Amino acid sequence: MLNRNIIIAAVAALALATVTAQAQDASKYPDWSGQWKRPPGAGIQWDQTKRPGRDQNPPLTPEYQTIFEASLADQAKGGQGENSRVTCSTNGMPRVMTVIRPIEFVIQPKLTYVIFESYMPRRIYTDGRSFPTDQEPAMIGYSIGNWRDLDGDGRYDLLEVETRNFKGPRNLEATGIPLHRDNQTVVKERIQLDKTAKDTLLNEITVIDNAFTRPWTITKKYIREQGKVIWNEDECGENNNHVVIGKDNYFLSADGYLMPTRKGQQPPDTRYFNQTRN
Amino acid sequence: MLLQRSLIASVLAALIGVATAAAADDSKYPEWRGQWRRPPGVGIQWDPTKPLGPAQQAPLTPEYQKVFEASIADQRAGGQGGDPTFTCIPPGMPRAMTVVFPMDIIILPEATYIIIEYSNQVRRIYTDGRDWPKEAEPSFLGYSIGKWVDEDGDGKYDVLEVETRGMKGPRSFDASGLPVHTDNATVVKERIYLDKANRDLLIDNVTTIDNALTRPWTVTKKYVRDRNPIWFEYNCTENNRHVQIGKDNYYVSADGFLMPVRKDQAPPDLKYFKQGQN
Repeated sequence: MLNRNIIIAAVAALALATVTAQAQDASKYPDWSGQWKRPPGAGIQWDQTKRPGRDQNPPLTPEYQTIFEASLADQAKGGQGENSRVTCSTNGMPRVMTVIRPIEFVIQPKLTYVIFESYMPRRIYTDGRSFPTDQEPAMIGYSIGNWRDLDGDGRYDLLEVETRNFKGPRNLEATGIPLHRDNQTVVKERIQLDKTAKDTLLNEITVIDNAFTRPWTITKKYIREQGKVIWNEDECGENNNHVVIGKDNYFLSADGYLMPTRKGQQPPDTRYFNQTRN
Repeated sequence: MLLQRSLIASVLAALIGVATAAAADDSKYPEWRGQWRRPPGVGIQWDPTKPLGPAQQAPLTPEYQKVFEASIADQRAGGQGGDPTFTCIPPGMPRAMTVVFPMDIIILPEATYIIIEYSNQVRRIYTDGRDWPKEAEPSFLGYSIGKWVDEDGDGKYDVLEVETRGMKGPRSFDASGLPVHTDNATVVKERIYLDKANRDLLIDNVTTIDNALTRPWTVTKKYVRDRNPIWFEYNCTENNRHVQIGKDNYYVSADGFLMPVRKDQAPPDLKYFKQGQN
């Protein structure tokens, strides 16, 4: 009788432990499902709390402040300055986290995807790997994450991410706030739900870059779509009317002709054409 | 005592049942993780068993056979013919499934994601039982609804059946400009499954129903798995030397000048420039 009770108790404990372990495993990641957008009124500037351009007060070195000023001056004349997005080149990290168009998080135990409408997804590896030594540099970099259970309730609250191994050209916003051309940027993120608003996701982003005099930390907010989720396809290359030839940029008119973007701009050099247009 | 013991046994049995159900639920989807590529030696033509171009023997209507022949003639002369991707427009469906660069697949109960490195294409295949939306914007990839099928009745899904509609253009089947109809009423049906003898071989039977074709056209795509992948960033617009101005396409030379792509091609009309080239 004693033996039978012990067996029953042991099997019951095993079954309970199995069910509990599975339930815990399934629920230990936060619910970040759905579609995340910039909050109403938040523009596409880097620091959401300040206006784009000089008001961002980026902690630029004197050398890169000069580059930034030149970008603003060029844009004032009709150019694109340091904003490399004109050719539809991906914005890269960290600018993609401005979330110009909505994003989705897909959390897997070893890998979290950030899926964009406009760019290649980010893969944030959470399997304990180290930074590879043989990976090609990328605009989006290489991201390693670490889930944290801050309040000890057995569920993860926070995803800490470090991103390295970049190439360029990259900048922080459309005004051309520059990142250093050495592409040694390190981006650290702390992503978590707002404790008081579970449909608000906070991303504290610290950018460490040789164009800056100090690490620059800002916090991006994203809100979860409460209505019907509709995903659109954003193809920058479709109907992009910006044309770059050599170091000059031009525009395509609605009727299909090349046109200047600056007052007094010269047309492109056509030295490689044997014919003249009739 | 006997009643108590029976009760414990019943609870225990129920708990074991829950554990089994949970385990069964976790494992009912196939294991398609990793990186999927075209098999060695397989090119980027639509039907991988036939050479690119007329040898594809596409069942085109007479009208679209002429469109196809004009594309090939234009490409021989230096143009791009009916291949719209040179301006970095994504290939869309069904051409995306040629998997020019590798893809990975995320299976969730409500949707399966196919993430294709080439042109940053992310397919969402909804498997939550939804119907076709009435208000979705047409897109190059279209809108995909899938259904998991347990063909051998072993309690695990084997086949993902997918139907894709709601496309926009321009699209073609492959780089030779093999056309789909400009009405964009294409319907694509797929059956995706692992090879029974080789679990690292994924098969996609793709049937295209299109008004450019005299009958539904089925081809079989195969993909091989790399379980230790390295992902690259594909940025089509980075160093894209093709320029389209109006209806003509040109090329930007290595030294940054516009150049013709066809013999005796005239330069673009520069009527919107007030100044002559020095």
